[in-house]
Amino acid sequence: MVVYSFYIFDRHAACIYKKTWLPSSFSSSVTPARPSSQPSQPYVNGGLQARAALSADNDAKLVFGTVFSLRTMVRKLGGEDDSFLSYRTSQYKLHYYETPTNIKFVMLTDTKSGSMRIALQQIYVNCYVEYVVKNPLSPVEHPGGLGVNNELFEASLEQFVVC
Amino acid sequence: MASGQKAARVGEEVWKTRVEKVNAELVTLTYGTIVAQLCTDYDYDYAQVNQQLDKMGYNIGMRLIEDFLAKSNIGRCGNFRDTAEMISKVGFKIFLNVTPTVTNWTADNKQFSLLFDENPLADFVELPDDGRAQDELWFSNILCGVLRGALEMVQMSIEARFVSDVLRGNDVTEMRVTLLRYIEDEMPPDDD
Repeated sequence: MVVYSFYIFDRHAACIYKKTWLPSSFSSSVTPARPSSQPSQPYVNGGLQARAALSADNDAKLVFGTVFSLRTMVRKLGGEDDSFLSYRTSQYKLHYYETPTNIKFVMLTDTKSGSMRIALQQIYVNCYVEYVVKNPLSPVEHPGGLGVNNELFEASLEQFVVC
Repeated sequence: MASGQKAARVGEEVWKTRVEKVNAELVTLTYGTIVAQLCTDYDYDYAQVNQQLDKMGYNIGMRLIEDFLAKSNIGRCGNFRDTAEMISKVGFKIFLNVTPTVTNWTADNKQFSLLFDENPLADFVELPDDGRAQDELWFSNILCGVLRGALEMVQMSIEARFVSDVLRGNDVTEMRVTLLRYIEDEMPPDDD
C-alpha cells in the first residue's frame, strides 16, 4: 500500500495539517479534483514546479470542498447518521474519518488499499489526541496548524504510515 | 432505559481497562489548593472565583472531550437524553469514578439536573466561615465549565450551573444543565 498524502481539517473548516509523501513533481498527477482540461505535461520546466507549488496550497482546499460536499450529500440521502468511508478513482483512493468533534481526517492512497477507517481512527487516538490535544503547550484551536506540527506528532504519524 | 444501561456498560469497561488512575486525595487536595489560591488572588470576591473556575473548566473541557472520545469510542448521541446519560455514566465515571443521577427533566427535554451523591472534589472541604462563602461560592464550579467546554466541541451550546451544594448545608449537590441550541457546522470560507 502506498500513502500519497494526509490532511487534517478542524471544526472551522481550516486545514490544520497536511503531509505529502510523494516527490512534488509526481504529486500533480495523483491529486484530486483536477480539471480535465489541465495539460498533463507542463510547457516548460519551470511550469511544473510552479504548478506543484500552487497545487499544494490548493489541494487542501479542493480536498475539503470535495469531502464537505460528499458528506452533505450522503447525509441527505442516508440520514443524519450516515457517513462515507472512501471513494476511488482510477488514480487514487480517498479515505475519510470524522470525529464527533468535527475534526476530519483524510488520507489519499493507491487504489489497491483496503479500508483505512480503523487506521485513521488510530491516528486520531494514538497520534492526534496523545501528542496534540494532551500537549499543554499546544493551543486548543490550531490556526494555521499551530501546535499540530510538533515533532512527536510527526514522528508518530510517520511511523504509523511507514509500518 | 436501554441507552442508560449501554452507557453504564461502556463507562464501566473504559474505567476498568483504559484509564490511568491517580490517588483520589491528590486530586482533592490539588483542586482544593487551586480554589483556596483563587480566593486569595481575587480578595474573596466569590463571584469572580466562580467565574474563574468556570473558565478554567471550559478550557479543560475543550481538550477533555477529545480524550473522552478517544477512550470511549462512542459516536454522536441521538438526542439530549442520551447525552445526559453519557455525561453521567461514561464521562463522570471514567474521569472521576462517580455517576451522578440524571433527573428533573423539563417537558421539552432541554433541561435536566445532575445529583451528586458523592463529589471527589469536595472531600475534606469546609467553606470559609466569613458569612458570605456559604451563599456565594460554588466550590465545584469547575465542573460546570468542563461540561460547557466539552459539549460545545460536539456542537451543543449549553448552560450549566450549580443550584445547591452540600457544602452550603443543602441536602443534595445539584447541577442544572440547559441545552441552549445545537451549533451548526461551519462552512468553509468563500474563495475570492
